[in-house]
Amino acid sequence: MKSVPKLIRRFVGIMLLASVLLLILNFALLVIYTLHQAPNGSPWKTAQEAADHLSKNENGYALDEETAMELQNADIWAILIENATMKVVWQTDNLPETVPVTYTVSDIASLTRGYIDGYPAFTGEAENGLVVLGYPKDSFWKHMWPSWDYHFIANLPKTVLSVLAINIALIFIIYVTANSRLLKSVKPIVGGIQALSKNEEVHIREKGLLSELAVNINKTSDILQTQSRQLRKRETARANWIAGVSHDIRTPLSMVMGYAGQLESDMRLSESSRRKAAVIVRQSRRMRNLINDLNLASKLEYNMQPIKPERQNLIAVVRQVVVDFINMNMDEKYMIEWQTDEALTSCTANVDKDLMKRAVSNLIQNSMNHNGQGCHIFVRVIAEDNVCTVVVADDGTGATDEQIEELNNTPHYMVCDENTFEQRHGLGLLIVKQIIFAHSGKMLIKHSGYGGFEVDLSLPMQDSYWVNP
Amino acid sequence: MDYDYLKQKRILLVDDGQELLDMVVSILNEEGFQNIKTAKTVREAVAVSETYQPELAILDVMLPDGNGFDLMERLKKAADYPVLFLTARGEDDDKFRGFGLGADDYMVKPFLPKELLFRVNAILRRSYKAENPLVKLHDSEIDFARAEVVRNGEHISLTAKEYGILAALYRNAGRIVTIDALCEAAWGDNPFGYENSLMAHIRRIREKIEANPSRPVSLITVKGLGYKLMVEGR
Repeated sequence: MKSVPKLIRRFVGIMLLASVLLLILNFALLVIYTLHQAPNGSPWKTAQEAADHLSKNENGYALDEETAMELQNADIWAILIENATMKVVWQTDNLPETVPVTYTVSDIASLTRGYIDGYPAFTGEAENGLVVLGYPKDSFWKHMWPSWDYHFIANLPKTVLSVLAINIALIFIIYVTANSRLLKSVKPIVGGIQALSKNEEVHIREKGLLSELAVNINKTSDILQTQSRQLRKRETARANWIAGVSHDIRTPLSMVMGYAGQLESDMRLSESSRRKAAVIVRQSRRMRNLINDLNLASKLEYNMQPIKPERQNLIAVVRQVVVDFINMNMDEKYMIEWQTDEALTSCTANVDKDLMKRAVSNLIQNSMNHNGQGCHIFVRVIAEDNVCTVVVADDGTGATDEQIEELNNTPHYMVCDENTFEQRHGLGLLIVKQIIFAHSGKMLIKHSGYGGFEVDLSLPMQDSYWVNP
Repeated sequence: MDYDYLKQKRILLVDDGQELLDMVVSILNEEGFQNIKTAKTVREAVAVSETYQPELAILDVMLPDGNGFDLMERLKKAADYPVLFLTARGEDDDKFRGFGLGADDYMVKPFLPKELLFRVNAILRRSYKAENPLVKLHDSEIDFARAEVVRNGEHISLTAKEYGILAALYRNAGRIVTIDALCEAAWGDNPFGYENSLMAHIRRIREKIEANPSRPVSLITVKGLGYKLMVEGR
């Protein structure tokens, strides 16, 4: 369930990013809008310009033509109030009649902050008076009492940041509250999908925001479970079929082997007849091995072979297999050499003893089967880097690089579902591979240092708890 | 050692196939076993055993009117004698069930005559020990009943560990017994790390049984693998 915290992190990240982007966008829009307002945004400046361009001549006062034109176009009237008399000594032609022509000091203070008869007024200082511009009504709104507490202005950056933080926190709380229900519904869905991927049976409560998804996941689980039950049933049937066939072959083969065995050692028969009987015995034994192998391979393939791993000294297990072969009085053509370092007395691994013995005897038998002319077989156990390795090598005919590549990679006919021409035959090595894989080990087929064939079986080593007496 | 007395043992052979019965009888006859009775069903087997009093039973598991496991229980209730299962059922569970019920051995078909004879002889040797169990070696004799070695008329007693090791070697006379199996025979389960002690015991046994312990002829070392006891006349 690592994905839910990840999901929450992702949600919060997106939300914070969205908030920051929103702020930047707002700020940008404000700047653009303000800049757009700028040309007619400085009536104070216009008033001062008008004052500067007003000049005194013999007829009184006159505004230069350009400024006069500008004011007229914007429908702005202007007056000059003389400092000495507090009377209007100059005015534009478009001055409304309702505008007073004499002023008191308090009038001046009032018009500077606000309006004259509803016209927003702006002032500019002239040489011996005050130029007042009157803009059309409703063209400007004037703040009549523009003053702030000094500390408020001094702390403004801090205040703005605090407000921003409070806003973000508020948005976050709203967001998490709103999403917690969604996340609560997502959690079992995520768990369900994870369980589905492991082919586990899933049943999620079909309630909450995502109940529809839950229903579908439950349905999918039911379908998968039914399918795997059917597959298992089919595999069981196949393994049972193989077990049944091999059982039925055993009794007739007993007769073949039994009588051929008797004939082989019947001294009343001629040498050539006994040799023929020996061939029948040898081939019957091959058939017996094949039946046993087929049965075990199918059970291992369909997970029907119970594996009972126990802590075992691999050296003892492999040594017993070697001794069993030697005790069997096998053909003198085959010499088995035990090459395990004598100083190494224990290499503990968690294995099913019987299956492990089977794997090692299959390898020794494999060397014999492929070297009819005889060969030396070298067996050793190595303990290295917490891995127990069983090596079975021979100095026989060996295999080509292509054959070894094929043995390592081509699927066997037991497990191949296509391409019936290039499958691998012979069950001996397949069983070894299956057994080693069932023990989480590795199998490596290669050329032996003796010029023949070699198979290395590696298994994870267990800590040995045996104490030397 | 002479095992001819074992050939006189009464054997009951149960299998539903006449041809297989004939073949096993002929294998046993050739080996010298003469007292053999056969049966093809559980009922027949029970009837035969009542009058015949077998000393070894060789049973199939699947019989037309029951199974070999139940038959063994019925036979063993009447008299305790060894039982060898000879069956086409090779499943591990069947083997464990057979051994769990007290079977002495379990063989899966098909089999070679010598494999069958090896097992029959081994069971009989284990179950019916000779009156005078003196084991003859090249330079001495082992008297397992008294746990001693007789060499040049001198009686040398064996310690418990030496006895255990020698008994395990004798059960497999002429065959290699692994170091691990010998340690298990002497020290029981989890016999790890006793290899050096085993070597010391083997040395002491050789001093008792061999004329020249540094050149042993009866208790042979097979390097790295184990030891082999060579018994005269085997």
